[in-house]
Amino acid sequence: MKERKPKNIFVQGAIASSFIADSIQKHSSKTGIGGHSIFLGQVRADIIEEKKVSSIEYTAYEEMALQKMDSIREDIFEKYPLACLHVYHSLGNIAAGEICLFVFASSAHRKAAIDACEETVERLKAELPIWGKEFFEDASYQWKENK
Amino acid sequence: MDVNVIIFGKLIDITGSSSLTVNNVTDTAQLNEQLRNRFPGLSAYPYIMAVEKEIIHVNTLLQNNNTVALLPPYAGG
Repeated sequence: MKERKPKNIFVQGAIASSFIADSIQKHSSKTGIGGHSIFLGQVRADIIEEKKVSSIEYTAYEEMALQKMDSIREDIFEKYPLACLHVYHSLGNIAAGEICLFVFASSAHRKAAIDACEETVERLKAELPIWGKEFFEDASYQWKENK
Repeated sequence: MDVNVIIFGKLIDITGSSSLTVNNVTDTAQLNEQLRNRFPGLSAYPYIMAVEKEIIHVNTLLQNNNTVALLPPYAGG
């Protein structure tokens, strides 16, 4: 494998809906695309032992996560006929209701886009070294566990 | 030899710090033992180790100035 700098996926803070809209708009020039599949992860106000989650603070082992994401991206491109695949994950404190994950897969036809998007989401949740500290309204916290 | 240990997630609550240096260790099993002696709370939580960003599955020899990461279960997305 040739050495190259892995593409950054991390953004500080929440992912703005205007950023997502711009991202979609940018694909209008790629007219070979016939289908986009988008997954958005939103911070959920879970109730745990009568306390409500107000935000999640995300941290990551960034270098390792970017390397890993690069190899996931390679696998996905090998498996599906994609035009492009974009992944963004938040770092820092994200309030409940805000977007913390944006996965955007595009292909000539819908099936590849939908399947690639789903597989990318599943793999990144399982394989990227990212952690979330769930803060409650009373400022106490617990570490998030993925189900 | 000396290794740099970086710590993530819940494990920081136990070590009180996100990075530290450990001296006189030759492999990851020895490193783990030293860390668990120093921070007994570590034994109560699951984690894996990565040496220079590569997850290890067996005891691994360390080189001077290696960076070893302690990784609790991931929770991204």
